[in-house]
Amino acid sequence: MSTQTVIRSQKGWLALPENIWRSVFRNPLPSSDYGRSSTSFTNFFLHIHPVKVHRHSLKATYTWGLGLMASFLFLILVVTGILLMFYYVPSTTQAYDRMLDLRGTVAFGIFLRNMHRWAAHGMVAVVFLHMCRVFLTGAYKPPREFNWVIGVLLFLVTLFLSFTGYLLPWDQLAFWAITVGTSIAGYAPFIGKDIRFLLLGDSTVGQEALLRFYVLHVAVLPVVLTLLVTIHFWRVRKDGGLAKPEEEEAGAESAFGAQSGPVAVAAPMTMAVAAGAAGSASTTALPKRSFGIQGLVRGPLVKVGSLEDRTLFSWPNLFQAELLVFVISVAAILVVSLFFNAPLEEPVNVMHPPNPAKAPWYFLGLQEQVSYSAFWGGVGVPTIEVLLLLLVPYIDRKQAGIGQWFARERLLANTLFMTFAVINVVLVVIGTFFRGANWEFVSPW
Amino acid sequence: MIRNPAKSTTEGAPADVNRRRLLSSLSGVGLFGSAIIAVLSNLIFIKPRATYGQPNRFAIGKPEDFPAGARISLDTRRVCVVREGDKVAAISTTCTHLGCIVSVAETGFACPCHGSHYDQDGYVTSGPAPRALSWYQVTLAPNGDLVVDKDNEVEAGTYLKV
Repeated sequence: MSTQTVIRSQKGWLALPENIWRSVFRNPLPSSDYGRSSTSFTNFFLHIHPVKVHRHSLKATYTWGLGLMASFLFLILVVTGILLMFYYVPSTTQAYDRMLDLRGTVAFGIFLRNMHRWAAHGMVAVVFLHMCRVFLTGAYKPPREFNWVIGVLLFLVTLFLSFTGYLLPWDQLAFWAITVGTSIAGYAPFIGKDIRFLLLGDSTVGQEALLRFYVLHVAVLPVVLTLLVTIHFWRVRKDGGLAKPEEEEAGAESAFGAQSGPVAVAAPMTMAVAAGAAGSASTTALPKRSFGIQGLVRGPLVKVGSLEDRTLFSWPNLFQAELLVFVISVAAILVVSLFFNAPLEEPVNVMHPPNPAKAPWYFLGLQEQVSYSAFWGGVGVPTIEVLLLLLVPYIDRKQAGIGQWFARERLLANTLFMTFAVINVVLVVIGTFFRGANWEFVSPW
Repeated sequence: MIRNPAKSTTEGAPADVNRRRLLSSLSGVGLFGSAIIAVLSNLIFIKPRATYGQPNRFAIGKPEDFPAGARISLDTRRVCVVREGDKVAAISTTCTHLGCIVSVAETGFACPCHGSHYDQDGYVTSGPAPRALSWYQVTLAPNGDLVVDKDNEVEAGTYLKV
């Protein structure tokens, strides 16, 4: 603050760069607790986080950074996807050639396509792991029930995004995966045929289907996903940050309400509120009294100083951790993209399905189920599974074992969930490695 | 006889309250109804009225092109033309399981995707396929061409005498 005042009072052209810099970044690099609060509070990109976070939420072994990783992978997908759009044409006669062009003539084309493909696969995996983490730590308990529901929807949208993107290269892999996939949709009772027809825009996979999948993939679904992600994040904040054990929760409350931004409890918070409320220009004296929004926040009353403060400033603790997750995510995708090329098979030949015709790996569990019974494997069981997933927080409402891995009180719930998860993973593994021509059992060795 | 609006709100006569409630519920119904109509019209919009792919009714050639005993699979049309003596029929080659193209095998039809097998008449003999292959209506056009109509399914074993 004092620095700010000094800078502002400088006159003359020499101060111009500094003045511009200060106008963009309202705060100098913080050296005090006040500065640390203020930095996260006044920055558009940082203020999505509370000024202070609980130590428990920062523990890498609690979250493994999975949710964040999923959103960074989405960011990579948006960036590489937009770049790929500059060269892609959603036409059955051109799409495949454009794939070859990406490989042969476009600078970094093959690399961008690799990044896009591997980030998409990674996102499906990471979103699934994130869901497992949230379940196994009981983090969906009230008040976070609805955020779990949004999370399940996000998982479904992620799968659908991946699925729609799969058709775009218009190679054999794409064509037959989508033929199989949309036929599964056709098995839904009553509306199945209509859904299939709406999806394909025709009775078979062709130009109309390619165009529709393209529009869904580059416009409709990303917007839906972004909206849901935004609500997901927002609710994390409003529900008091990440779920944590009760004894930790009490400590957190004492420090700053339920993490909903700066509140007038601890001294640095008070100052942050003042800076925010009074604007940056005229913060000369500390206000005698300020009002936070703890009055609007659910949870126990604020107990100042009665408990140990278990929180840390977001700057730098949280932001460093997030930067680390970001760097790891990007680095992983870059390395994988350097060494492995995204598959591209022969151009579409509607007469000759490859044998076996396999869906993308995350749908192979489904395809494996479908080989037993088309309706039950493709529609019945998945519908029941999704409904159960959506209802999880409303079925299991016991407030115990929240915020810790494999809590004793949650043995039954965790066992049930893991059973479902493992069965699905095993089905995917069977479908991927143990199925050969005519979908007959083969040994991968 | 225009009533003072301020007066009516402060007094809150029962008639006014009722009218207000009626008006607000009517506008609620109107807004909600419009939203539903908007969604429905979008559904209608995305359901294509014309498709640009393969027509469902097409000529496949003269009867002489199919010698007796022939089982010729027209993969682009996704039908198998079967001729037995002087009878012609068209059997779908789209697997009823998940839409792959079945190939003509010695025993009938076999699907490469999930291993469904069908007999000569398209009945399922093994594999996950839930029902038999469809038979389509075959007619003779005035110019002597055989015409297959995929919108018209017929019972298995229905042949056209030529």
